Amino acid sequence: MDIPSSLAIVTLAALIHASFQLSVSVLTLLSGHAIGAKHSQARVMRLTFGFVSGAGVMTLLALSFISLIFLNVFGHDAPQIVWAIACGLLIGVGLAVWFFYYRPGKGTSLWIPRSFARHLSDRSKATKSAPEAFSLGLTSVLSELIFIAAPMIISALVLVGLPGTWQLVGIAIYAVISLMTLVSVWVLIGSGHKLSSIQKWREDNKHFLQFAAGGALIVLGFFVYVCKIVSDVTGAI
Amino acid sequence: MADKDISIIKRKGQRPTEAFDRAKLHQSITAATLSARTPEGQADSIAYAVTNYVLEWLESRPEVTSHDIRLVATRHLRAHHPDAAYLYEQHRTTL
Repeated sequence: MDIPSSLAIVTLAALIHASFQLSVSVLTLLSGHAIGAKHSQARVMRLTFGFVSGAGVMTLLALSFISLIFLNVFGHDAPQIVWAIACGLLIGVGLAVWFFYYRPGKGTSLWIPRSFARHLSDRSKATKSAPEAFSLGLTSVLSELIFIAAPMIISALVLVGLPGTWQLVGIAIYAVISLMTLVSVWVLIGSGHKLSSIQKWREDNKHFLQFAAGGALIVLGFFVYVCKIVSDVTGAI
Repeated sequence: MADKDISIIKRKGQRPTEAFDRAKLHQSITAATLSARTPEGQADSIAYAVTNYVLEWLESRPEVTSHDIRLVATRHLRAHHPDAAYLYEQHRTTL
């Protein structure tokens, strides 16, 4: 696969990652608690920046870790069967997102184990310092792994096939794009926007976001399947 | 208005029952109102009014769930500050 196509796949995977909402929900709760506890705007910004940084670092670590495993196990070119499994995973998770991403009813509750949700909610309330917010950011990415594993796996498979420098560029592109929504919410909070407006927008558009994320996963799955497996097979014929 | 001895059933009985705590309710409503970027004094006044309303509603009820209290507080808070009521109501369904 050539470098532009590889980076395009990584970009689309990162956009899908960015459309997932768990970290945004935790950031909304964290800032709500911080403002409600009468913290200064500077402290609210420090806490929320700590959270966004934590989410960014864990995204970098997770993608690098998965890439390293693939590199050690498969080398620079993973077998076709691994690509096929990864494509199947993308399509499967895409369908699951269409049907199960949000819990029915009001609000933006997700289909994650309730114990996870309660822990994150309780921690967002208990977080008082930037290092705690940083570790909450790390944890929130881990809690979201069930959704983001598929785009990360396909990105890692693509990245290990690139030359060393482009691997770093690809990881950086993934991390920056996947953080776009969190950074947007952080900027909105910093510029004095009401949390209620942000949450209302998220609730009003949750089905669109769900459809977009699920649809993009399925499209990416088919694209990679055609790009990597079908083209290789027909090329061999 | 003095606190009565009212039991609050938490999370459908998954957590131990607690005695009603007026200060805790006042604090949670103040926090939700402050989250909606309301000045401190106004947030305190709104929380005071809503807490009094919830206390009146509790007069004839020896045992209620935390969910009931949230519903009643939200209904009254909506009249004072719709944005704060929205945040207060959404708190449990954001994640």
